[in-house]
Amino acid sequence: MDYLRQVNAIIWKDLVVELRTRERVAAMGGFTVLVGILFNYAIDPTVVEPQAIAAGLIWMTIIFGGMLGLGRTFSLEEEEGAFQGILLSPIPRDAIFVGKVAANFIILTVVTALVFAVFALFFGLTFGGHPVALAGVVLLGILGFVALGTLFSAVSTRTSMGDTLLPILVFPLLIPVIIYGVTATATLFEGRPVAEVDGNIRMLGAFSAVALFAGAGLFRFVVEE
Amino acid sequence: MSAKIRWTGAVLGVLGLAMILVLHWMVFFWVPTERTMGVVQRIFYIHVPSAWVAFMAFGIVAVCSAIYLWLKDERLDMAAQSAAEGGILFTSIVLLTGPLWGRVAWGTWWTWEPRLTLTLLLWFIYVGYFLVRASTENPQRGKRFAAVVGIVGALDIPLIHLSVVWFRSLHPAPVVMKPEGPSLDPRMLATLFVGLGASTLIFLSFFLFRYGLERMRQASAHREMAPRETPAPEGAAQ
Amino acid sequence: MRIRLLTGIVLAAFVILLPDAGFAQGTADPSALANQSLRGYTHMFIAYAIAWAVVVGWVISIARRLARVEKALKE
Repeated sequence: MDYLRQVNAIIWKDLVVELRTRERVAAMGGFTVLVGILFNYAIDPTVVEPQAIAAGLIWMTIIFGGMLGLGRTFSLEEEEGAFQGILLSPIPRDAIFVGKVAANFIILTVVTALVFAVFALFFGLTFGGHPVALAGVVLLGILGFVALGTLFSAVSTRTSMGDTLLPILVFPLLIPVIIYGVTATATLFEGRPVAEVDGNIRMLGAFSAVALFAGAGLFRFVVEE
Repeated sequence: MSAKIRWTGAVLGVLGLAMILVLHWMVFFWVPTERTMGVVQRIFYIHVPSAWVAFMAFGIVAVCSAIYLWLKDERLDMAAQSAAEGGILFTSIVLLTGPLWGRVAWGTWWTWEPRLTLTLLLWFIYVGYFLVRASTENPQRGKRFAAVVGIVGALDIPLIHLSVVWFRSLHPAPVVMKPEGPSLDPRMLATLFVGLGASTLIFLSFFLFRYGLERMRQASAHREMAPRETPAPEGAAQ
Repeated sequence: MRIRLLTGIVLAAFVILLPDAGFAQGTADPSALANQSLRGYTHMFIAYAIAWAVVVGWVISIARRLARVEKALKE
């Protein structure tokens, strides 16, 4: 119970900061809408139907927008030297990690909902008949992405290259999320039965589990002095 | 450099060189030409062994990194770094020879063949390994970051492999790529094994020398940081 | 000197492979291409040359760094 309370403290702190400044959500939200606009001009609707490539477009927007926000996960701590304070407190390192992941996950979920809404509006998309399964696929995919991104954000924040290093570190490792996530999303968009994406959901779950455990275990080595 | 490292490295190197020469003889004078692809298929005998070394090296990086984080022994980090250096070089060989082969054999510079894709991603993971090492002001931090990259990379590579293979099964290639060709002549298999052995020996030999070099570098750095003997001040009491 | 040599090798490879660029625009018919065994030979030799260059390059790089460190240790 103690552990959960500590994790909650971290989540709460990050969300309150985010609610007050709204800087990450604003950046990611603005990015989403603008990318939607750009895509409208980048895709020729007479040649390719947006519905056919919707899954890929949506996921790439989530990933790119997500990277914007993930890069800032530890920026506040690093700038203000607040990290020392957190590290000196009795909160175990993996609790800090889990808390950060959870906060990022919540923020990215909000942004993802925005992505779906914006793309549905701009391109007249339909999302198939299995909203629960779709939500499951997307959320599991985001979870793995956020876990990986949070760990490497801690790494990149403390290098001289900063945020520019984050995509190089994260994108190669993100391939399974893209493959399983986009394929499952596209399958569900077509209205196909949930049973067909069963394997994908399992793999996304496995990926998220590995990312979370690895991140929680390795986080202490990233933040120790 | 410790005599043991130097000696083992030299022995492995000589053996490796001998096997390389045997390999070249086999490739250019002995092994039969593949039926459909022609002469260019012989690239297979350095392409596949290089890929084997690339992944083996990364395995070494991952294991050494994990134990390094656990035991904090600097020598493990030196080993990981040396393996990574060889690993990224052999990965580059795979990525350069693959398209040269594919262009003639299958008519295209690049294919999203699962193994080649995995190797390309491995190359980027190696790049990330070296980038985090180099871009921290505190070198100790850089070593730990690199170790984390190595470990997470190793954990993810099987998942990436599964996903790209599965993706390929959904979207089959227009041309079926069988590197060995439709028939795998026993002589081809033998040549391949010689190639595997040769490249492994070469890698291990240079890995040892690189490791020895790193040990010497650290020793040299420590010596520079050690306090020098201060000369007796002028006119001091004898 | 070394840079010129390297540039020469890269340019040679480029010139040899340039006709392939023409094919890249056209069809990719495997059997037609496989019949051009001369191109196959060129590609094969370049591939082996690259492998040798990389490995020998690593050897030279290690040897030079070793010489530098040994010199530093001697002082």
